Amino acid sequence: MNENSWSNILTVASSTLNQMLRSATPVALAALGGLMTEHAGIMNIGMDGMILMGAFTAAAVSTALMSAALGIVASVIFGILVGLFFALFTVKLRSDEFIIGCALNTFAMGITVYLSRSLFDSAGISNAPHLHNISIPLIRNIPFLGSVVSGHSLFVYLTWAFVILMWLFVYRTPVGFWIRASGESPETLRTAGRNPERMKWIASILCGVFCGLAGAHLSLGNLNGQFGQRMVAGRGYIAFACVIFGGANPVKVFAAALMFGFFDAIGLQLQSSKLVDPDLTSAIPYVITIIMMVYVVVSGQRRRERIAKQQLKKLELK
Amino acid sequence: MKAFFLRLKQKLDFGYLVALLISLGVALLIGTVILTVTGFDTGKALGALIGGSFSSRQYFGNMLEYAMVLCLCGLACDVGSRAGIFNVGGEGQLILGALFAAQIGVWLKDASPWIAIPCAALGAVLVGGFYAFIPGVLKVKLKVNEVITTIMLNSVAVFICGYFSKGPWKNPSPRVVSDTSPLDRSFMFSKLIPSSNLSTAIIVSAVLTFLVWYILQKTTKGYEMRLTGDNPRFARFAGIKADRIVIVAMVISGMMCGLVGMFRVYGAAGKYQSSISNDYYFEGLMVAMIAQYQPIPTIIISLIFAILRWGAIFMEDTVGVPIQIYWIIQTAVIFCMAGEKGVRAAIHKARETRAAKREIEKRREGGAVRE
Repeated sequence: MNENSWSNILTVASSTLNQMLRSATPVALAALGGLMTEHAGIMNIGMDGMILMGAFTAAAVSTALMSAALGIVASVIFGILVGLFFALFTVKLRSDEFIIGCALNTFAMGITVYLSRSLFDSAGISNAPHLHNISIPLIRNIPFLGSVVSGHSLFVYLTWAFVILMWLFVYRTPVGFWIRASGESPETLRTAGRNPERMKWIASILCGVFCGLAGAHLSLGNLNGQFGQRMVAGRGYIAFACVIFGGANPVKVFAAALMFGFFDAIGLQLQSSKLVDPDLTSAIPYVITIIMMVYVVVSGQRRRERIAKQQLKKLELK
Repeated sequence: MKAFFLRLKQKLDFGYLVALLISLGVALLIGTVILTVTGFDTGKALGALIGGSFSSRQYFGNMLEYAMVLCLCGLACDVGSRAGIFNVGGEGQLILGALFAAQIGVWLKDASPWIAIPCAALGAVLVGGFYAFIPGVLKVKLKVNEVITTIMLNSVAVFICGYFSKGPWKNPSPRVVSDTSPLDRSFMFSKLIPSSNLSTAIIVSAVLTFLVWYILQKTTKGYEMRLTGDNPRFARFAGIKADRIVIVAMVISGMMCGLVGMFRVYGAAGKYQSSISNDYYFEGLMVAMIAQYQPIPTIIISLIFAILRWGAIFMEDTVGVPIQIYWIIQTAVIFCMAGEKGVRAAIHKARETRAAKREIEKRREGGAVRE
């Protein structure tokens, strides 16, 4: 192989990995929120709507106040409100989580486009002040790594920090422990003198905040200040799937999100190479999600069976 | 006659009816507040929203056609949820059914309508059923959550339809970007109200609705489905083939969605286009949720929402309010209905606590007298 084709391959590989990090970030952010509700024992189907409302809030406030930072702050505040709203129904009023989630998604589609049309006279927002890409001084000069890691929007790097922070929060702090207990065994937690409902409220609010951030990243970071009705494109559901793949462990969930990002990036590469129809390549991440889902569930069952058999053998030996 | 009213009284769930009416009222109130805040002429807008569907024959026909779509989608969801499986993938089954029905019509364009229409219906039903079969089997055999798989399959279906309608099955005319070729005029269902979407498909739908209601409520199979949905382990112990019932329910649900797609093509659009369904199945799902997965309420609520939907379209045309207000009102009804149970439980609990306190006080006083 000659010099030229090698450098070609390297360019394609680095741009694929770069795109992987970009695509994984909104999913990973939402999934970080989703794993909190998963730990608290709430099935959260409504993340798609939460992301959409976060994206709209960020874009709208950023346009109105001409500041991307204020847009992000607004999306966080709004995320808290959405989390409270979600918890009011799922925790306080004990409604069906599935119904509330579905309704939240439709509600998000309705309210965002309604407000966008009555405030800005169009179904979408464009040219909101957005976040600029950061190029990291020393790393950007490293040949391969530089073009992969450097030059993303702020949220991509924040997400890495959040993954570690959330891991510490879930597995190394008392509140994280209580939240996990509130999902696994609420009665035990109550006996231990803690209120499981309160833990569920906290988890739900955290989920709202992370979904709000994911939305802010989509509109202000990823799309350079745009909002559109269909921009979330099922990422909330993919995030939910990632939570299940990763067993609600932040690090594993992030790995699952990266995997989704990788296939998304491959799809985009194939699309730009014009070998395959763009409609077919766009379907790749969704098909992969189904396959991963099946794999995770089946391997989990196998593992449980194996453990059960081992236990049985031990009993027989005795 | 008296016996009839007594039976009617027994059948009606007054608590549910009151809750539904209150929820509708609250939802319209929320809609009014939003309309006022965003600066529209509230009275005119609300009048258009409620009365718009009856403003002309065309709107009335479109409204009835939409009620048919909602009702069939809602019933499709009912069938699945009765057996304990949520078909959230109806949207994908619907558009795939529409695509295949439209293309079969194009392939058989020289055949007589008596052959082409049944073939198209069969194609739509098979495709919809197959597309529901995948998540059904995954759920039953491998215990994979059907909600995620069906939602992912929805997205996949959108891309499949996009590929076929822009690629191999595209209308050859260069002016068209992403539609299939139009159907032969003789294949279209005849219209019941001219220049509206209402066609004879609604008669077929009425028969289908009756069948679904009959099977779910009056037959052993329907009872077995309900048993499986409520408690699959008990159903298995009772000798019911629960696994098979779940898969069959899911496939029937998918078939109904595929058929709705075919009705949309042969009744209204005349070809496959990406606007053949605008998240119609999700609205049907909402209807089924509000109806608590019961067939008769599903019919009534789909009528109510169809009236609001075409009222909202009329409102957009005349007053200029964005049609999305309809979704806001619809979901507000769901939130109210979902919250109602919790509120009622809270009130009940508060009342009991008060009664208990009173009882304690009474006893204390009684005790004091005795001393």
